[in-house]
Amino acid sequence: MFSRRKWMKVLGAGMSALDGWGQAPLRFPGKRSMLVQNDFPEDLETPAEYLNTWITPNDAFFVRQHLPRPKVDAASWRLKVGGMASNPLTLTLDDLKRMPQVKVPATLECAGNGRANYRPKVPGLQWSKGAMGNAEWRGVRVADLLKRAGAGAGVQYGNFNGADQGVAKTPDFIRSIPMRKLTHEATIVALEMNGAPLPEIHGFPARLIVPGWDGANWVKWVTEMELSAEPSKGFFFATGYRYPKYSPAPGSAVKPEDMEVLEGMAVTSYFAHPAHGATAKKGIPLRLQGVAYGGENRVSRVEISTDGGAKWLDAKLSPQNYPFAWRLFTFDWIPPERGYHVLCSRATDSAGRIQPVECPWNPGGYMYNAIERLGVMVEA
Amino acid sequence: MKWLLGLVLVLPLAAAGPEAIEKGKAEEKRACVGCHGLRIVHVQRLSRAQWDRELTKMAGWGAPIKDREALLEYLVATYGDDRAVAPIPRSEDASNRKK
Repeated sequence: MFSRRKWMKVLGAGMSALDGWGQAPLRFPGKRSMLVQNDFPEDLETPAEYLNTWITPNDAFFVRQHLPRPKVDAASWRLKVGGMASNPLTLTLDDLKRMPQVKVPATLECAGNGRANYRPKVPGLQWSKGAMGNAEWRGVRVADLLKRAGAGAGVQYGNFNGADQGVAKTPDFIRSIPMRKLTHEATIVALEMNGAPLPEIHGFPARLIVPGWDGANWVKWVTEMELSAEPSKGFFFATGYRYPKYSPAPGSAVKPEDMEVLEGMAVTSYFAHPAHGATAKKGIPLRLQGVAYGGENRVSRVEISTDGGAKWLDAKLSPQNYPFAWRLFTFDWIPPERGYHVLCSRATDSAGRIQPVECPWNPGGYMYNAIERLGVMVEA
Repeated sequence: MKWLLGLVLVLPLAAAGPEAIEKGKAEEKRACVGCHGLRIVHVQRLSRAQWDRELTKMAGWGAPIKDREALLEYLVATYGDDRAVAPIPRSEDASNRKK
């Protein structure tokens, strides 16, 4: 694992090459051309044009890191399951590979996806719409680990820690997942992502998959599951990733006691094609494409408006119809007349949730899911 | 008279000239890059109160800020909520796929 000193050396070299301002070309081995929200640690947004396949390839998948990425040695890596357990476990990677493996297709979305749209602005990475991707994850059910470890009757939470560590006094990244979610058959410790070992930047050798819940729960480089009656008191669970219990006036402060932990994600949809500001020709068909996601629910409907939301028509949905995973939508549009047209997409999920015209402002800039509006200039 | 009081309060902020900004910029580089790159700072557009809270949070997390005033003035002047949002840069394609 990289020591802090070594990271500082790497960072120092990088910074002198970039003069601290990122003038040098940005390049992230193993990644396509990405939108660079930050270069150290890497926070990379998937450009909208890659949101056009049911499986997001690993090399186009977005990256969010709070702390410098650890270099994990597979041979010495261990997953410890302890705390309130009658049979605490220390498992090697091979031990995990020998356990029954399951595949879970699931969309990973950062809680702050779409934060750039909030007004007033809120602190944090200014994600547009590409802090999400869909992958097939393969690994071991957490329920199987709980059984093997002999989780006690009083266990309420699994408190997960990864190999990444806080720099200076930055808190360690620890997340608590309640038992009702941990025991779900789709909650796994993944070893593979889209048929390949987890890439280092996505949590090699193991990351937690918490389908339908925001990405902060999907702990990377996971090394420890502590079974406890109490959740973590650390910043990244007790303070960070909290959402108001009521809808506050935009820009207003919310008391800590009026905040609660985020769980299931909102229903949302985004266009992959065309891009905002694109041009089209009158009478020439244009295929609108995008993705729709319902958190823990299935996506049951996507409607399209090509006149700013006055009239809505159903889009065609891709055949994959699972909870936790997005669906692709397409809509063939024949631009009827010259001029500026506002295209909108609106998803509905199997719980009947539907995207709003405006979603509630909140101090963390989380859960953005307002109907996307995208302008296209149609030429004669 | 209220307008005069307002002017007196605003003048010191508006007077953050190039030298003060450079001082704050140097402080940012000195105090922040030990833990993270600066892009995460520069993508944001925040009010004075929000930048102030961010500095408090970062100092609590160990950022060795010495000239807090200069840093705050620089952030407000350069990345304030009245500043235009800058486009997010694209990286080079460094994937291993066949192109």
